[in-house]
Amino acid sequence: MSLNGQVPNGSAQAPIEIPSLQTVIGINFGNSFASIAVLTKEGLAECIANEDGERQIACAISFHGEETYIGNEAKQQLVKNSANTIIGFRNLLGKKFSELPKDRSTSSAPVIQHPEVPDTPAYKVQVLLPAPSPLSPAASSLQTPRTNNTPAASQFATPRSEPIPAERVLTPADVTTLFLRSLLQSAEAFLGKPVDGAVLTVPGWFAPVQLEALREAASAAGIRVLQLLEDAGAAALCASANVSTIATTDVGPDRTQLVVDLGASSSSLSLLAVRQGLFHHLTQPAHHLEDVGGDVIDDRLLKFFAKDFTKKTSVPLKVAPAASDAVADLRAEARLRLALLHTKRTVAASSVGSGSSTATCAVESLKDGLDYTGSINRMRFDMEAAPIYASVVARAGELIQRAGLDWVQVDEVVYAGGSSCLPGLDATLAVRLRKNATTPFFTGTVAGGGIGDPTTILARGAALQARLLAEIGGGTAVEDERVRKAFEHESEHVEVKATARTIGVLFPEAAESGGLGGQWIGGIQAETAVPARRTYALEVDLGEYDVGGEKLVGLEVWEVKEGVKVEKVKPPKDEDEAPESEDEDEEEEVEVAERTISKEV
Amino acid sequence: MTMGDIITLPVVPLPPPSDWKQEPSQGNSISPFVERKLIPVGPAYLAHVRRVVHDLSFEEHDK
Ligand SMILES: Nc1ncnc2c1ncn2[C@@H]1O[C@H](COP(=O)(O)OP(=O)(O)OP(=O)(O)O)[C@@H](O)[C@H]1O
Ligand SMILES: [Mg+2]
Repeated sequence: MSLNGQVPNGSAQAPIEIPSLQTVIGINFGNSFASIAVLTKEGLAECIANEDGERQIACAISFHGEETYIGNEAKQQLVKNSANTIIGFRNLLGKKFSELPKDRSTSSAPVIQHPEVPDTPAYKVQVLLPAPSPLSPAASSLQTPRTNNTPAASQFATPRSEPIPAERVLTPADVTTLFLRSLLQSAEAFLGKPVDGAVLTVPGWFAPVQLEALREAASAAGIRVLQLLEDAGAAALCASANVSTIATTDVGPDRTQLVVDLGASSSSLSLLAVRQGLFHHLTQPAHHLEDVGGDVIDDRLLKFFAKDFTKKTSVPLKVAPAASDAVADLRAEARLRLALLHTKRTVAASSVGSGSSTATCAVESLKDGLDYTGSINRMRFDMEAAPIYASVVARAGELIQRAGLDWVQVDEVVYAGGSSCLPGLDATLAVRLRKNATTPFFTGTVAGGGIGDPTTILARGAALQARLLAEIGGGTAVEDERVRKAFEHESEHVEVKATARTIGVLFPEAAESGGLGGQWIGGIQAETAVPARRTYALEVDLGEYDVGGEKLVGLEVWEVKEGVKVEKVKPPKDEDEAPESEDEDEEEEVEVAERTISKEV
Repeated sequence: MTMGDIITLPVVPLPPPSDWKQEPSQGNSISPFVERKLIPVGPAYLAHVRRVVHDLSFEEHDK
């Protein structure tokens, strides 16, 4: 719909103000935590807290009698009501029961074969249903509420007489729907109006069947899904939307970006070419680290604190793993796990000077009624987490190598995922990065909800993308629909050709013997999707030099191959800053540009 | 920063080699392109799609 008739649209940068009556949000839906971002009047994306004051909302649902808990409250139920507490459901979306590993831990409601639907995973929980109603309990227990804006728990409200114990079977899709509906309600409560659409983040490794299952579950929750956007894309968008506001960085519009997403149960690493706002993976697929994340850091910290507890109290405590029949140890482990988030947050805050250098872990009645308070200093914490940091760096190195690049060619690191808040990780990565590469820690944007904050970057990126999609318009209905479709999974529009090598100009110089034999100015970098346009104004200062009274400048257009020369003798900095450029045999054209630009600089 | 923006770079070249002269274009082409998949995200991707869908050149799209 065009608001201004025949008048041409605004530029790409400033689209005509389509009064976007749509209210859209971004949802980061992890396997362990979710977050919600909305758009402010100033046009920024901001993460909001839910009714419990939580920005990092645990992906957990717990059934306790007639109550249904969702989020962090539900997670608390893992201590004493683990059999009715469901976690880890996102990664089961679209999966067959027979595809699941059989040795899954049982610190929460076990995944069972659905009693009626073949080869389908499900959870069976004990609930109390309201007194007899015309609807049979069996029917209502299977029913997934479809009505929009109905609080999830309300179906159990106002019992007329004694509630009836019953079993409720839920598929991962059912749980996802309940959970996403509660996120939607939190957003609507915050905004004070209905949400018209949302962009949800998804792991880059989600298969089409998983995407489809998520889309359906979200729709059932009453969410109009504008796009399922891969995590790395959300992080990259959010990071680049902010680039211009970071004065302290020298990241250019064309750069190589490493996205490090450290979650709880898993992590992923993506190496992206960022080319003036266009993003593509330099290696497909990205690295999915299925065994690296906050959970394994927690395992090590659990052992550390359990040992300390035993030392202080002489009460034995075996955790990570606790014996499956040792209820006291299992509960102690669950309590400790919950407490660790605070410990890790303190460690993360310590990097920016707003926290102390020691972090505590306090649990009431950890075991045998004994309270526990322990502490860990930053050095000891990093020692515990070091193997995890090291494996992230090693896997990132593999990824970079797979792309035919070297660490010194990485210009920027972007962090996503809660565990990326840990400063020791950045410190470990920084050792491999070249000096002027940038990370959110380096620029100081990681701190306290800063623009590089890894805990909110995915939701904020999703919200920015949601606004972009909501504002599509200005063409014919058919055209706009084609544009919208281009954001769907596997759209043909994502398929592009990109340059294999960097193209630029060379100012030949007599004095320059090595390298290219002159001053090189890169124009279009390797890995730039075509068609591409880059416009440069070269302000050439010729100084005293002239040829027969005329000021002339010669320049040649070359395609070069960029490599890295590693020399052991010199300090690494020198090579880092000047990636060696080698002439290619295909010399494209040579030309003299006489006075292309004014001699007066 | 979008593709339409002009990047201004100062250059202070030293004299070229004494035997350097203008040569005619050799007409060589650049290396074959590689196939890539864009992440469908952000204003630049939207602009890319718009140029394709509305069949616009960069300049037409600028308007
Ligand atoms: N400020 C923080 N400092 C350190 N660790 C944190 C911080 N906030 C959250 N975490 C940890 O980050 C992890 C959760 O990360 P995230 O929210 O990215 O999870 P996710 O993407 O849902 O995880 P999954 O990998 O299971 O899909 C947890 O291990 C949590 O303890
Ligand atoms: Mg995640």
